[in-house]
Amino acid sequence: MRILLIEDDERVAAYVVKGLGEAGHIAEHIADGREGLYRVAGEAYDVVILDRMLPGVDGLTILQTMRAAGNRTPVIILSALGEVDERVRGLRAGSDDYLTKPFAMSELLARIDALGRRPAAAPSKSTLVVADLEIDLLARTVARGGRRIPLSTLEFRLLEYMARHAGHVLTRTMILEAVWDYNFDPQTNIVDQHVSHLRQKIDKGFDVPLIETVRGAGYSLRRP
Amino acid sequence: MQRPTFHFTRGMTFRLALAYSAWFVVSYAAMGAIAWRIFVTAPLAEVRATVLAEVRTLSALHEKHGVDALVDALDVRRESPSRRRAFHALVAPDGEWITANMPAPPPLVQSPWFRFEFETFDGGVARENEAYTYEQRFPDGTRLLIARDTEDVDEREELIGQAIGWGTAVALALGLIGGVLTSRAVGRRIDAIAGTAERVMAGDLTGRVALRGTGDDFDHLAETLNAMLDRIENLIQSVARVSDSIAHELRTPLARIRADLEELDSADDAATRETLIAQANESAARLQSTFDALLRIARIEAGRHTLAAESVNLSALVSDAAELYAPATEAGALHLATDIAPGIRVRGDRDLLFQAVTNLIDNAVKYTPPGGTVRVALARETASARIDVTDDGPGVDAADLPRITERFFRAPAQAAAAGQGLGLALVEAVARCHHAELGFQNRSPGLAATLRLPIAN
Repeated sequence: MRILLIEDDERVAAYVVKGLGEAGHIAEHIADGREGLYRVAGEAYDVVILDRMLPGVDGLTILQTMRAAGNRTPVIILSALGEVDERVRGLRAGSDDYLTKPFAMSELLARIDALGRRPAAAPSKSTLVVADLEIDLLARTVARGGRRIPLSTLEFRLLEYMARHAGHVLTRTMILEAVWDYNFDPQTNIVDQHVSHLRQKIDKGFDVPLIETVRGAGYSLRRP
Repeated sequence: MQRPTFHFTRGMTFRLALAYSAWFVVSYAAMGAIAWRIFVTAPLAEVRATVLAEVRTLSALHEKHGVDALVDALDVRRESPSRRRAFHALVAPDGEWITANMPAPPPLVQSPWFRFEFETFDGGVARENEAYTYEQRFPDGTRLLIARDTEDVDEREELIGQAIGWGTAVALALGLIGGVLTSRAVGRRIDAIAGTAERVMAGDLTGRVALRGTGDDFDHLAETLNAMLDRIENLIQSVARVSDSIAHELRTPLARIRADLEELDSADDAATRETLIAQANESAARLQSTFDALLRIARIEAGRHTLAAESVNLSALVSDAAELYAPATEAGALHLATDIAPGIRVRGDRDLLFQAVTNLIDNAVKYTPPGGTVRVALARETASARIDVTDDGPGVDAADLPRITERFFRAPAQAAAAGQGLGLALVEAVARCHHAELGFQNRSPGLAATLRLPIAN
């Protein structure tokens, strides 16, 4: 993917550019807000990573200008302002995702992945199919290999989210944000417990596991 | 520091007592003036009118019928019964007395009205008289003095004058003495309070105002001040403890990271390096999460978190929180029992409330031994929604209960099982900004946490 990084801290920028490159992306870096604004307006990118506090024009202004001009490029805000209200401000200004510094490279990569390949206005399919797993979104039932698997509402939501992003790495924070309708910090490894619970139901008794643990990053529902 | 000494003459109490006695004197004088008017001025005016009427009649008589008729009329007047004795004197132009029952002073008076005192003897008994007199001078130089006795009014005048004078003096003296005494008494009490405040300012936080035990206003004030000092002492102690803890909690992972990095420098084989890097990463993550949690609590406590005040379905929220912990309880072989009343709504920030409830459940889950039960209940009380989270773990020492919501406090016995020690501190911050009541009780076994939120109407 072609990615533009607008970030004034040299070390963070170098770290991100290197990480993106290693993951096979093409990354460009700009340190100044004003210049970033021109670049975004003039060229096409798959994803823009935007720092909030920038010299020149600040991140939120760039974002608002982009959106006002009809530029729909996915934007991830990268910011040291991590409080819930700041997050909400960022998302309201039109960002697609919000990541708080300090962050792990795997987290950023997973989010870029999810954003970049997000189907433009997903066709409203009524079933999701991953290998032999079938999810009926209308009846809200799940079957694997033709066998019905009873799931709780929460388990269904978790599985639906993973299935919609099948093949992508989903970090714990991404899962937490997507599946739970609350903004909160879990005290313990709640997500791991829920995923392992779901795994018990989906994978137990089948030869090929579908839910995969990605070391140091998160989970992924994959076609084997 | 110079201790301010209390001067009773400058004290407010003294000035109040003084003002009060001044006011008393003023009202006393006003009463005197009214008495004077009723008992002195009014009767004198009446006498005046009578005398003047008599003078007119007698003058007319004299003009028409001459001196003899006047003398006859004067005699009749003298003998006719009246409440006030009648006096007269008729003096010829040559100074000779024609008729009189009163002494006539020499004609020196400017005003025709005058009062003078003389004694009469009635059957050998001396009698004091005061004649309120009008002097009429006829064109031939004859002087006619007509008077009525006003001795009773004179006596009253004297009495009222004395009463006002003495009364004022006594009231002033008593007011002054009372002012000095009360301001001294009040001053001593104020000195005691000021003294305690100075002790505390000088750094002795254990100083308290002594109570007299009479339950008066000063005792009440002293109790309030003592309660305030208790709170301040507690706060300062907890700030001291918390800053010690913060230093410890942040330094420990920092020290581990540095140690790992140093070791990494000299580590040769790849496996060791990988372990060290993973360790350092873990320490950094722990540092970050401690830091985040601390900031979050501070933000909520400082009121900097823009609190959403939306209507929250608490029943759904509590059941979501319980559901969140379903796998965790299963993994720990715990039983999770819920008893959630439906349809309870409160006003507040749903994210923060969810965080608070999950923290309470998290705490209960952490401390409950395998096979134990965690109970989550939501019930409606008259004006509040009551959330109870109970476990049957070891509970907390009674002495430690008040400190349970302190930052980084972990019950000593369970230090190993504990997390950051910030969970309950956050719950308390959330409770406080929602005007909710948070309480903990030992249930032997186990701990019961109760959160009471004001219910939305």
